[in-house]
Amino acid sequence: MTYVLNRLLSVILTLFLITLVTFAVTNILPGDVAMMIMGTQSNPEALEGLRQSLGLNDPLLVQYGNWIGGLLTGDWGTSLIFKKPIAELLAQKAVASAIIVVMSMTIALCLAVPLGVWAAVHRDRWQDTVSSSTSLLGVSLPDFFWGIVMILVFARWLGWFPSSGIVEPSEDFLASLYYAFLPSLALGLGLMAHLTRMTRSTMTGILGQEFIRVARAKGLTERTVIWRYALANAIGPVITIAGLQIGYLFGSIIVMESLFGYTGMGWLTYQALLNRDLPLIQATVFVIAAVVMITNLLVDLLYVLIDPRVKLG
Amino acid sequence: MKDIVSVDHLRVEFATDSGPVVGVEDVSFTIAPGETVCVVGESGSGKSVTSLSLMRLVEFGGGTIAAGQLRFRRSDGTELDVAAASPSVMGSVRGNEIGMIFQEPMTALNPVFTIERQLTDGLMLHKGLSQSQASARALELLKSVRIPEPERRLKQYPHELSGGMRQRVVIAMAMACEPKLLIADEPTTALDVTIQAEILALINRLKRENGMAVLFITHDMAVVAQMADRVVVMYRGKIVETGTVDQIFTAPKEDYTKALLAAVPKLGEMKGKPAPERMRLIGDEAARAARVTPVARKKEVLLDVRHLTTRFPVKGGILRRTKAQVHAVEDVSFTLNVGETLALVGESGCGKSSCGRSILRLVKPTSGEVWIGGRDIGALNHHDLRRARADMQMVFQDPFASLNPYRRLKDQVAEPIVNFGLASGAELKARVEQLFDRVNIPRGFMKRFPHELSGGQRQRVAIARALAVNPKLIVADEAVSALDVSVQAQVLNLMMELQEDLGLSYLFISHDMAVVERIAHQVGVMYLGRIVEIGPRAAIFESPAHSYTKQLLSAVPIADPTKRRFADDLSFKPIKSPIFPLGHEPAPSVYTEVAPGHFVLQD
Repeated sequence: MTYVLNRLLSVILTLFLITLVTFAVTNILPGDVAMMIMGTQSNPEALEGLRQSLGLNDPLLVQYGNWIGGLLTGDWGTSLIFKKPIAELLAQKAVASAIIVVMSMTIALCLAVPLGVWAAVHRDRWQDTVSSSTSLLGVSLPDFFWGIVMILVFARWLGWFPSSGIVEPSEDFLASLYYAFLPSLALGLGLMAHLTRMTRSTMTGILGQEFIRVARAKGLTERTVIWRYALANAIGPVITIAGLQIGYLFGSIIVMESLFGYTGMGWLTYQALLNRDLPLIQATVFVIAAVVMITNLLVDLLYVLIDPRVKLG
Repeated sequence: MKDIVSVDHLRVEFATDSGPVVGVEDVSFTIAPGETVCVVGESGSGKSVTSLSLMRLVEFGGGTIAAGQLRFRRSDGTELDVAAASPSVMGSVRGNEIGMIFQEPMTALNPVFTIERQLTDGLMLHKGLSQSQASARALELLKSVRIPEPERRLKQYPHELSGGMRQRVVIAMAMACEPKLLIADEPTTALDVTIQAEILALINRLKRENGMAVLFITHDMAVVAQMADRVVVMYRGKIVETGTVDQIFTAPKEDYTKALLAAVPKLGEMKGKPAPERMRLIGDEAARAARVTPVARKKEVLLDVRHLTTRFPVKGGILRRTKAQVHAVEDVSFTLNVGETLALVGESGCGKSSCGRSILRLVKPTSGEVWIGGRDIGALNHHDLRRARADMQMVFQDPFASLNPYRRLKDQVAEPIVNFGLASGAELKARVEQLFDRVNIPRGFMKRFPHELSGGQRQRVAIARALAVNPKLIVADEAVSALDVSVQAQVLNLMMELQEDLGLSYLFISHDMAVVERIAHQVGVMYLGRIVEIGPRAAIFESPAHSYTKQLLSAVPIADPTKRRFADDLSFKPIKSPIFPLGHEPAPSVYTEVAPGHFVLQD
């Protein structure tokens, strides 16, 4: 329990550092929020008035304090481009993107683990070659390429899935999964590559261990030996890598959501960056960082359940 | 057929890129019910391949049974052709009618499953027991292998158990379905000598109680002498000689068996001999070994260790603060004379290696003084310490790890000479050549890389490298433990020859009491970081005074089948933890001199 508290404390500390950095960076960026709102041709007095009312003339420390205070109380400010409260905007988009994150990771794990195990069991045979070239293909091609392939194959030729668009999960959950499937599949194929290689290498190491020989000497079937004895040991490192990939996934999501016209967090971040919507940029960076850190904390806690040798503390 | 196992002209091949390689060839032997057959041989002799073939596990390592018959008489009396049996039939034999124990208890258990799960899955599979019946049987098994607190062990994971306890669990697993044959593949090689004695006694008792046959694979002739009814000697994939244990030990027929037996030191054989003696070798090495020249040296102290203490921090918490300390070396004092060997013996974790490293300042001692040739090593600054290192060199256990795989041997031997700027150019080349001659490695090997040499050759190169800077002291940390027995004898003889010729002093760190008895002048027995007894070799071996020394000596297997010692259950006191809370100051070591130069720690 102290371990969890310690880890939470360090997550909070890191998040605090992140707010400092994002605040500093967005304030160093050239451009003036008031001018962005009112346009470059606006009346200087009105501009000054807006600055005053937005608190842009306050000392930086005060501005930072106001922002943090808002973050904590749920008042995340108003987006400049969408003219909506950021908290509301994020809450809606975050759910849409969470669907993609979970779905793509599930697809990746469901493909990668069997493929990696298969390659490890048939190490140095044709199955291994097939598996490693498949994953090499996955790593070497950029995500958006898979996005284009998905659109061509499943939307254009087969017509099974829509090529773009989104359904809000609050309206129709099944339909929202249907719309999220293609971008998730494209992301999943990219993620799968690393996970396959990781599964293969940990499984190869574990299959060479003495306790596997002992399990076979007990007369257990190959299926039990591989899928229970060996995989129970290999899954920990694979899940750790999967957790780390959540961070990378957010980078890919920005591209993929824009490609599929899927208006989630990634798309929102892209819009914010494109339009210098500083309050929105700050908020999205903060949310993404928080999600990545909490996922990794959860993965570490999960590891404790998987591997009894790992002790908390 | 009356025999439970009959192996007839077995041939096993391994597929490699350059075609099939023969693992074993023309191997034939039988095992009668209730009999212990020991297959003995050095590394690469094919003894493990033979046992794995009997279980048809060899195919998981890329091997195939290419020719020959393997017959196993099943419980229902039918004869099974193992080589031709289907995987499902083999599955019903493995773990059910044949149990197997492996070498490494540390890795033989699945780290993420409880002991209970690993004990019960075989029972449920083979005997059709329910979970609760299997659990009850698992508890019974743990009791029969005499594990302390068996109920608690069931719920524990392997890492929570000591090596000895894990090996007991592995044995319990192998015994679970009451097999008719137990295959034990080097079951005690990785264990300390007292635990080895306990495990050997346990196997003997279980065999007696269950009337099962045992196929015992080992490289250790002393273990063979203690365990075997019959012996199969293997060399390079073939059987050299088969016979009863008495025949093999008293009247071996083949030269290889004779050489193997000669190279094995027997505990107690040095009784009444004043000085160390070379290891016995047969063949072309014999002439060299015979030349013993006891050098009468004036006693002159080279190494003087006073109250040496080394503690390692145990870190913990979010700030990684020191929470406790491992008392690895605790108030150790001794002296080592010029041209003599002091052996530090003890079981794993007793601090003998830490002591050697602390003396060389490879780890920094917490307190104490180390004087070498009148210089206090602990007080030297960085620059002087570097200079002083030329006087003290180290030879490590694993010659595979202690040589750099990417550098040629001559460069590795030359390296210390270059480092200390002792020679260059033609002089350097000449010195390196001399060193290769000195350790009997052909000069043609100088341009080779470590992987092109055998283990014994590598250890010779490691010795040549240690000798390169003309040291006065060599710390040999288990320097021959990883070597096959005949190679071990050669390397030990080389070390003794170098000692006579160059007046070297050895601090010989070892767990092998029989080797130590042969080569040491002085012996220090370590336990929990302290020397519990130290004195001349004869005093320690012939009149041990400390209870731990006695226990240690009683656990050593003797390479003589007429001196069997592991009939009944043995249980030695487990070694206590050397970890103490911060600020714990143990009492200083106080000794009683029971005979001149023979000191015993007061408890």
